[in-house]
Order: sequence, then C-alpha cells, then structure tokens
Amino acid sequence: MSEPAEDDHAAILHALTQEVAAVAKLSGAVRRVAMQAAGHSVEVEWSDTEAQAVPARVPDQEPRLEERDDVVVVRAPLVGTFYTAPQPGAPPFVSVGETVEKGQTLAIVEAMKLMNPLLAECDGTVDEVLVGNGEPVEFDQPLMVVAKGDSGKGEGGP
Amino acid sequence: MIRRLLIANRGEIALRVARTCRELGIEVVAVHSTADGDAPVLALADEAVCIGPPAAKESYLNIPNIVEAARQAGADAVHPGYGFLSEDPDFAEVCTANGLVFVGPDPEVMARLGNKAVVRGLMASAGLPLLPGTEDPVETVEDGERIAAEIGYPVIIKAAAGGGGRGMTVVPAASEFRAAYHATRASAHAVFRDSTVYLEKFLTGARHVEIQVLCDRHGNGIHLGERDCSVQRRHQKLVEEAPSTRLDAALRAEMGAAAVRGALSVGYSGAGTMEFLVDDGGRFYFMELNARIQVEHPVTEMVTGVDLVAEQIRVAGGAPLSLSQSEVEISGAAIECRINAEDPGLSFAPTPGVLERLDLPGGPWTRVDAGYLPGSRVSPYYDSLLAKVVVWGPDRPAALARMDRALTEIRVHGRGISTTAGFHRAVLRHPVFAAGEHTIHFVDEMLAGEMGTGGDPAQRHAGAGRQAADTMELLVDDATAVTA
Repeated sequence: MSEPAEDDHAAILHALTQEVAAVAKLSGAVRRVAMQAAGHSVEVEWSDTEAQAVPARVPDQEPRLEERDDVVVVRAPLVGTFYTAPQPGAPPFVSVGETVEKGQTLAIVEAMKLMNPLLAECDGTVDEVLVGNGEPVEFDQPLMVVAKGDSGKGEGGP
Repeated sequence: MIRRLLIANRGEIALRVARTCRELGIEVVAVHSTADGDAPVLALADEAVCIGPPAAKESYLNIPNIVEAARQAGADAVHPGYGFLSEDPDFAEVCTANGLVFVGPDPEVMARLGNKAVVRGLMASAGLPLLPGTEDPVETVEDGERIAAEIGYPVIIKAAAGGGGRGMTVVPAASEFRAAYHATRASAHAVFRDSTVYLEKFLTGARHVEIQVLCDRHGNGIHLGERDCSVQRRHQKLVEEAPSTRLDAALRAEMGAAAVRGALSVGYSGAGTMEFLVDDGGRFYFMELNARIQVEHPVTEMVTGVDLVAEQIRVAGGAPLSLSQSEVEISGAAIECRINAEDPGLSFAPTPGVLERLDLPGGPWTRVDAGYLPGSRVSPYYDSLLAKVVVWGPDRPAALARMDRALTEIRVHGRGISTTAGFHRAVLRHPVFAAGEHTIHFVDEMLAGEMGTGGDPAQRHAGAGRQAADTMELLVDDATAVTA
C-alpha cells in the first residue's frame, strides 16, 4: 500500500467539501463541521438550542427575578440557617410590604454559632421572603426580594 | 458506623468516593461551588449543598461552610478526597469537634505530618533510610552552602511546608546555591507562608516509587505494593504504574515493611502513601508521607483488587482492616494516564473551555475516572485533570498495548481545549519507557530530545538548571492548583 498522491488528497478533500455542503443544507443552523481527508470522514453537528447556554441549576423563578432591574434579590452569603427574627418569639426584623432603609438588618444567617446579619443594599420595600424561618440555606440561595425605592415613582411601562 | 458521608471535594475524586459509598450503602452528601452546579457527582448524591463561589478559597477550602453543610444535611462523616482540605489538621479537628468522623488520620497525627522536616526526623527514628541531607531546617545561606558541599552537588532545596512537587529547587553547582536558596525561601514564604527549607542530595538516575499503606485504629498496618511514578514533569506525575520495573519481590517486601513500620510509628491510620526514591543499586530513600488518598490510587486497586476508599471509610468508622498482609496479592500490571486539559505544545498550559465532545475509553480492563460529562465546562478555577484512564493487563507489555488502544478512543472537542492524550501515547511508545529503563528525568529528557537539544549529560545538566529557573514560575502557577 502506498500513500495517496497529492492529487488523490485534493480529490478526496474536494469530495468531502461537496458532501459537507450538501449535508449542511439539509436543515437547521450548523454548529460544527469536522472533515478528515485521508480517513474520508465527514461530521456535521447541528445547533441544539436546548443544550445551549443552560445556566447551572437555578430555581424556576430566578431568571424572572434576574431580569427585573427594579428589585434586589438578597442571597445567602454563606451556608447556614436563615432566621427572620433576632431570637425565638421576637417579632421579625421586617415583614412583606414593609419599607426598609439601606443598611437596615433584614434577617440573619447563623453558621457555626455566629450570627451574620443580612443588610439592605438600598432603600426599598420588602416584596417577598422566599425562605421560612429556621430553614437551612446554601450559598447563593435567594432569600428575599426587595423592591427598589420607597416612593411610588414606577417607570410606568406597558 | 458511618451512615451518611459528606464529600468535601469536587471532580473525579468526589465521584470516585460517591461510588464506593453507594456500594457500601452509605448515603452521599455532595458539596459544590457555583461553578460546579452541573458536576456528575451531584447525580449520585442523596443531597447536594452549594458551599460558595468558584474560587476554591471561598468554597472547597471554606471550612465553616462545609461543616455547616454537613450539619444541615445530617452527615456523620466527611471524606476530604485529595488536595483542598485533605491534609489540613484544622479541618480534621473542626470536623471532630462537630461530631463528624474525619476520613483520615487523627488531627494530632496530621499536624505532625504537616512539616516535612519533622516527618523526616520521625522516619529516621523509625529506621527508614533518608537521602543524605538535613533533617533540620537550614537557617542561613552559609549553613546551606556548607551542608551542600558535604553531601555533594547536585542538591535539592525543599520548602518544609511544600508538597505535591511544589516548593523545590534543584541546584546543579555551588555557584548557583546562593540565588536558589534565597529564591526558594522567598517563594515558600509567598506560597506557604513558611520560608523554612531543608536540603537533600539530588539523585540522578532515580525512580520515584511509592508504597501504599493501610492502617487501622487498632495498630494493624499492611502495604499493598508500590506504584512507580517516575514519569513526571516538574515533579507533577503524568503516568503511574504497578508493579515497578525497578523492584523485585525481595525489595518490594523490604520497602513495604519499612513503609508500614514508619506509618505505625507515628500512629497513622487510614490510607497513606510513603514516597521513596530508588537508585540504580536498589537503595531506597524515604521522601515524604502523603496522608490522603492519592490521585493514582486506582493503579493499586487494579493489581490488588482492594477498594482503598472502602478501606479508608471502614477504618475511619473504627473497624479493623478487612484483610491481612498475607492476603494481599499483586496480580498482573496496571498503568494510569492522567489526561489533563492542557496543551503540551504550550508548556502544558491549562486549556479551560466547554467540552462540546467528550468520548472516553471503555472496554476490557479499562477504568475511566472522570469528573466531567459532555457539555461540562473545564473551569479555570480548578486543576486541569480531565480524566484518569487506568488499564490492567496480565503483564506490562499487555497493559501498555491496552493503554495505547484506550488512548486512541479519546475524542475531546471544544473551543480552545487541548488534552495530553497524544503526549501520553508518545511516552508509552518511547523505547526507553517501553523497556522500563526510564528515570525521574525521563520527561525532561524526552522533551529536550524532541526539541533537538540531544540527550548528552551536559545538556541534561542544563535541563536541571532550567528546571531550577522555572521553579519560581511553577510555584506561582501552582499556588491555586490542588492536584495531589
């Protein structure tokens, strides 16, 4: 067996190119094309829209929250236990609908017997509390939603 | 008795530990950073907890978050894997204080093993042979120069707090000692916050041979033979095999007995590795004791049939070892290739990216431990280990042929991603390696040969010099790496 001559390579390559062009026209957007000359191989991969840019494991409501620029999502800064009140039986730091000021304590996450206060990043109104009192939370878990601003100056969108 | 175990690690070793847990009927708690939300171990876990952002310092090295996660998930034990917190005595102590069984040696034993110079002293007391050099820290450059002259060049300067090939400089001649001493100390201080260094004779023509030991909490210890890890680049292992072509049955028994004696003398329990250098004459010298499961442990599992992680977990739970020395049988030959997402053409620079295609080998006596699935992202935050391919064969030539076959089955595509699979095939097919006549300088010599600088002794010397010059860079490069 001798190595294919230069001409043969060119011919194979040409045939492969034709083949790829024909296959690529079949349907959908081509994502990747692989050709191999001497091994006579053609590979075409179509876009798989589902597989593209799927963010890692996020709760269902999160993308919607992320898209909104009128709210701040308060997330767990560490792994621990979420508490809405300073101690058992005490009134909660804040309740849904309550107006808060930047720097105000919203809740605490307790870890290794240390209390870590969650502070409001901006003035606003408590829109939602996503986790129950005393529940365990993991890092980055959304805990509360605060609507920005305390006056009623909405953007007035459609 | 361990019932629910948290795996404080990621990637292939997290998956490896999870698999054995499931086989033993132990529930699995997996932890992950926000960059590892799609890790395959999560699918095998009974519960998963996100412990922090991508940076390891804030996630896989975050002791409070990991211990909180264990508490939350109701775990009763923690397996640290390798790298990260696996040899951190503080972590072991915090686990114990929180009622968690730490799968590893006792915290006090780990604390003593953390300092290499101390360990050398302990092993010398146990009668293990050490390389000529200092057991004590070298405090001044003048002391260092005097000791180096006594033991003879080349020498190697090592950071006492270093490990895994980090924090060491080869000094080929007296004229280079002063600069190398200061550079190693400065690097050691920057990376390990401890500038303590010691000196050893640098053996030429040596093989890296390590003995796997298992000890329980009842004073029993056994060894499971050796792994030869002489194929290294910048002290990072690339290929590991068992048995070593350098050892015969008598030397294996002698080294194994020494390793067990050394481990038991410091109250070691669990799986541990005693690293030795073996010279041409079959003389062996103790290097270090690694108090963890190692990356290359499957090689030993393949030739002994012993599940080392299962033994670790049993022993940590207080049970005696499930086998005695006379029941350990070494059968056939096994070899492991660490397939890294690195570009051998660019000084093995890591190549992070998305694995659009990931075909890994299979087939007879072929084991693949991978931490990724097709579509996974190889993150720049962690080490570049993509998969460990391990094969067994009735003898070394059969194992080498099988590995070559397995490597050809690897297909990895992704923008910017390269792998070391091709490089491994070149190593396996190299006549020096195939004949089992390689030394720990094999990769350097092979790369130098390919670059056309030849393999004469003078050039080899230049290679050692270059290695020394690269150590600073290596220290900085590897400051965040966690490969064992």
